[in-house]
Amino acid sequence: MIVAGRVQIPFRYAAGAAASRFGVGLRDERRILGARCGGCGRVLCPPGPFCGRCGAAAGDPVAVGPGATLVAWTELPGRGTFALVRLDGADGALVHRLLEAVPEPRAGMRLRARFASERHGDIRDIEGFAAEGAGG
Amino acid sequence: MSATAIIGTGQTRHSSRRDDVSQPELVREAAEAALADAAVRPGDLDAVLVANMELFEGRALPELWTGAGAFATGKPCMKVATGGTSGTSGCIAAFHQVAAGLFDLVLVVGFEKHSEGHAQTGMALTDPFWDRAVASGALGNFALSISQYVAERGVSAEQAALVAVKARRNAARNPHAHLRMGELTVAEVLSSKMLADPVRLLDMCPQSDGACAIVVASAAVARRRCRRPAWVLAAETRHEQPYIGDIDRRLVTMRTLRDAARAAYRRAGIGEPLADLDVAEIYEPVSYAELAWYEALGFCGPGEAGRLAEEGVTAMDGALPVNPSGGVLSSNPVGASGVIRVAEAALQIHGRGGERQVEGASRALATGYGVYAWADAVVLGAEGEAA
Amino acid sequence: MTAGAVASELLEVACPMDLGWRYASGAAMERFLAGLRERRIEALRCGGCGRRYLPPRPLCGECRLPLDDWVPVAAEGTLEAWSIYHLPILDGRTGEPRPTPYGIGLVRLDGADTTLNHLLAETDPGRLRIGLRVRAVWREELRGALDDILHFEVAP
Repeated sequence: MIVAGRVQIPFRYAAGAAASRFGVGLRDERRILGARCGGCGRVLCPPGPFCGRCGAAAGDPVAVGPGATLVAWTELPGRGTFALVRLDGADGALVHRLLEAVPEPRAGMRLRARFASERHGDIRDIEGFAAEGAGG
Repeated sequence: MSATAIIGTGQTRHSSRRDDVSQPELVREAAEAALADAAVRPGDLDAVLVANMELFEGRALPELWTGAGAFATGKPCMKVATGGTSGTSGCIAAFHQVAAGLFDLVLVVGFEKHSEGHAQTGMALTDPFWDRAVASGALGNFALSISQYVAERGVSAEQAALVAVKARRNAARNPHAHLRMGELTVAEVLSSKMLADPVRLLDMCPQSDGACAIVVASAAVARRRCRRPAWVLAAETRHEQPYIGDIDRRLVTMRTLRDAARAAYRRAGIGEPLADLDVAEIYEPVSYAELAWYEALGFCGPGEAGRLAEEGVTAMDGALPVNPSGGVLSSNPVGASGVIRVAEAALQIHGRGGERQVEGASRALATGYGVYAWADAVVLGAEGEAA
Repeated sequence: MTAGAVASELLEVACPMDLGWRYASGAAMERFLAGLRERRIEALRCGGCGRRYLPPRPLCGECRLPLDDWVPVAAEGTLEAWSIYHLPILDGRTGEPRPTPYGIGLVRLDGADTTLNHLLAETDPGRLRIGLRVRAVWREELRGALDDILHFEVAP
């Protein structure tokens, strides 16, 4: 015999200091804020809270992008193209999506972040990445 | 088995909402404090153990996200989860790793962010056939078991309230405690809101955000790095069938805890716990449970626990202070609570308990409680490296 | 000690979860639940210790023996533990809060050695005590689930 059902679970998540600065920068200034690692000096984007390389806490905010370089991508049928992009000035790569304006992605190609017109302080405030010079 | 010791402890400030930090940042706060206390650098660690439960913070794979906070990148890292005992079990797993000679320095971090998920729903998501339609979470389980305990042992609401008063009095001297209400009266406890007969609001633990960490070291490293290591004299854990209606797992007998404690005492050479132990940090989510567990832990005979509370035997100035920290009744970040018990016991041996220090403590007990299905007992000592 | 300079504003993300779940009963529970549809309650008896398990389960946790000796159990028994619950806990099947107060109890049905965790019709603590005789109140349309027994009421 099988029993089945659905259950709703309330859930909220405190973003913490580094992620909050990132969200507020996107929402209020259309700025992408990475953070400089307090240990090895790499620029983290997404910012922390910890450096993936040396483990130290993220330090001061550093503006990165909106220009970026495509590192890797994959197409998910019906869900668009997911990509790893390295924002100009950052050492790590950010997981995001490519907009339709990128018909033939290739590693190393130049991209530019496009911001959403309505922004709420989360990662969706970046609508996606388009090929540089494609407008938007 | 090789000798093993705790050489450092660290905790966050525990409170109902730590919105100033994300989960990994909360973990980092405790990990950094423990490493600083032990004068150990992150790079010196051989391995990391994380203690926490699924679903309580509404986040899958919490160990994936918090491992970096615990300095685990590039190191062996695992999560231990056994319900409320997760923290004590995580510590015991680290003792095993070090005692087996696998590692010289292991960091254990337990954490919980109650404010973010929904612990009571997590607790209700138990067996779909037998529990989901009727279960009422941790409090419901306790209330049922307490009704039996009260009927069989004649424990009064006033005696339970004395435990609640003692916990909050002790918590006032612990800078990490969540509830720092200071001096309560029995009357205040007895007039607080009824949650589930006979358990009232002030009989119950809070739901806390917080994290706690310890540094576990091999004998050679402990001797080199620590002036007064807290040696692990015994660490026992017992599992039980999970269904609450199986009558043997009542609070009255709590055979998992009784058996874990007996085995631990035997190994640590403790004949008379009340006389041989200097301090105990026991995992008591509800006032009545502390009384029931005085019996299970051999502090007194059947039906004598209420008298222990009345005579102040377990107060700070009594023969065996129980929970100088204020206990789970004053702070309950569940995944961390077991680590806190072990850390507070170690702190007493280290002699770094500040205002909550029991003078000259050289043998300490820490316990863990996980639903009805787990109990852990750990005995720490100032001497006993050879044990 | 945590990430860099203080943020001007702390953000939080609200993302309530909606999870589907599915669970297979196994043979022992299946027989028990099929019995409920005919208002029949059965326990499994251990050949080692003699304990009659309700809920029935395929293995005795004490003796580690497989169980297959079904014995009949009455829909009436003795209250072994109880409480009146006042917090609006969420129902584990749906996530919806349960109306309060409600009674909870451990009931040892006649013919079983373990107790069944279930709901009580009574919500007045003055009328409950350990040792009371209680009986099952059945749902009108039986479905083969534990809540075919709506709750237990004090036997007259």
